Amino acid sequence: MLAFIEAILASTLDFAPPVLFAALGGMLSERAGIVALGLEGMMRLSAFFAAVGTLATGNPWLGLCCGMGAAGLAALGHAWLAIRWRSDQIISGVAINLVALAGVTFLVEALYGSTDTTGSATIGKLELGFLSDLPVVRALSNHSWLTWIALLLPVALHALFYATPLGLRILAVGEKPAAAATLGVDVAAIRYGCVVVGGLLAGMGGAALSISTLDRFSNHMPAGQGFIALAAVIFGKWTPFGACGAALFFAAANALRIGLESSVPGVQEFLPSGVLLALPYALTLCLLAGFIGRAQAPAASGIPFDTERR
Amino acid sequence: MTEPSPSTPPLSTHLRSCLSRLIAPQRHPILLPLVAVALALLVCFIAIWLTGKDPVAGYQKMFMGGLGTLRAQGDSSTRAAILTLTGLSVAVAFSAGLFNIGGEGQLVVGAIAAAFVGQAIAPGSGLIHLPLALGAAMLAGALLALGAAWLKVRRGVHEVISTILLNWIAIYLVEGWLVTGPLRAQSATGHTLPGTAQIAATAELPRFFGLRSDLGFAILLASALALAVWIFLGRTWRGFELRACGDSPETARASGIPVARRVYLAMAISGACAGLAGALIILGMHRQYPAMFRTGYGFDGIAISLIGGNHPLGVLGVAAFFGIIRAGGTSLQLLQIHRTFPELIQGLALLFVAGKAILAHGLLWLRVRADGSSADRPDPSAAVGARPEVEPEPESAPKPKSSEG
Repeated sequence: MLAFIEAILASTLDFAPPVLFAALGGMLSERAGIVALGLEGMMRLSAFFAAVGTLATGNPWLGLCCGMGAAGLAALGHAWLAIRWRSDQIISGVAINLVALAGVTFLVEALYGSTDTTGSATIGKLELGFLSDLPVVRALSNHSWLTWIALLLPVALHALFYATPLGLRILAVGEKPAAAATLGVDVAAIRYGCVVVGGLLAGMGGAALSISTLDRFSNHMPAGQGFIALAAVIFGKWTPFGACGAALFFAAANALRIGLESSVPGVQEFLPSGVLLALPYALTLCLLAGFIGRAQAPAASGIPFDTERR
Repeated sequence: MTEPSPSTPPLSTHLRSCLSRLIAPQRHPILLPLVAVALALLVCFIAIWLTGKDPVAGYQKMFMGGLGTLRAQGDSSTRAAILTLTGLSVAVAFSAGLFNIGGEGQLVVGAIAAAFVGQAIAPGSGLIHLPLALGAAMLAGALLALGAAWLKVRRGVHEVISTILLNWIAIYLVEGWLVTGPLRAQSATGHTLPGTAQIAATAELPRFFGLRSDLGFAILLASALALAVWIFLGRTWRGFELRACGDSPETARASGIPVARRVYLAMAISGACAGLAGALIILGMHRQYPAMFRTGYGFDGIAISLIGGNHPLGVLGVAAFFGIIRAGGTSLQLLQIHRTFPELIQGLALLFVAGKAILAHGLLWLRVRADGSSADRPDPSAAVGARPEVEPEPESAPKPKSSEG
């Protein structure tokens, strides 16, 4: 039993980074008032360009930068449309997803003549040798650096939001941009910053898929993980620790599903995998509907800010 | 703000009036889709050229692959029909001010309902079998969409979020439970087969040319539905009420329209269209619910509807175009271009529609340039500013309206 728990814990920590990064990125963007519907597309772009960058340079950290850059550019485009042109954020989010879906397929075919890239180096793992004698706890050892970055980021974001003037400004811009603007806060600048940094974070999540979880880009990526990140943002009630907890919870549910299917034969008969896969979404929906607690979106999320309309 | 001079050459006056008409898309609703699709085709043309392949041959293959043979036309027509239905699904919801992103989930439950009814009822039920299967699919899609409508009206959950979540709930439950569990096909020897059982011949969509082509009932059904939706939205009282709810829920409520009930109505029609699209895929293409079934057509519907200006006939036209080039995508593989390439064209066209304010701005800039003297002309950015006056902001800004009931 202990071994099973240990295995679940270990694979939870391996599964978590993509969704965790993307959820934090999406949360940052939504807290500043820009809907983050394009997470899936940004993750896909980044997963691909991270693999390309790693193959080209041989260094996965440079690959990570390539991937983050690609996702950041997509986010910048999204921000430009949403802020400068007041386009519908949902439409441009969907557009990013569709363009990334087909565009990356085109690029991977053009560059590698197949739907997957070849294998490459991956981000190193952090060995915690001194834990190796302890049961269960030793599951913390031997995880990608990205896992630890992902686990520390919520702390940083929490500190940003609740302990710095900039964080308060971000929250104000997401709740009541007109009020923030009268106090001299540059609403557009804050929104640009949050969306682009959010895109970079989503990019880390996408890159984690192709240069950490796997050693290559595969055409099915990210297979809906951007949407589960969006669910995690909501399930975590738009807070850093909440989003982190939700992402870890979803990752644990996934790890449990795979662990059960591989170790308990016949589990499919009474607990089909589809039910477990649908569970995170169903729980999020229940939360939104107020059946378990209540999630309240930032008030100005999705509404373009117009300086002439107060 | 005076006219430059009375002696302006007629040509430039003409040019100017043309351009100023062009920048008023409400008078030329067809312009934006054309510009967006043309730009997308151009960008993709360059993209093929940059990868060292022959773009002219590629585009030729793509269009001929969708129109060249009877079989290709059949394939195109089926795809066009499916895209029309998912596009209509989004368009109907949109005209009531709702953003239904749940087309994919509604399509999937429609597909499984069609597959179930298609194989479950014994052959011999004859003529009513196909309508039953289609009806079941519409009902399933509508019910899922009504779930989202209920969550919006009664619990204040924004439909964009709830339909996204319902998508994945539906997809996983159908794919990971129904198709691999209760509805899995059994062979005569008792072995399980992938996917659901084959549908009966009575539930297959009629085809005009037998096995030579899929050309048949699907595109007729979709076109008829597009016409019906157009008449409903534009020419009936109920449709007018729906649009009133979309344009301004407050005004609609003040004038006595039961907004909540219209939300239910719009979502039910929307879900039924998407469910019907799922039925067409099963009854017209796969003839079973396959083990691997990820279409993306539900998400494509968003693109089709928005490129088509959320107008039923625009949807039909745009769906026909993308149906053709997407059927032709298979031929692109001869040039080592992935068959999903037409979806890139579609995605880019949506991106350009999203950036329509930029297009309008560009056209206005052209107009000012065409004027010659820009000295006493307003700066284009001042005229349009950041506020695109070309079209009212869509009423889709996610602002949960908690108490519609």
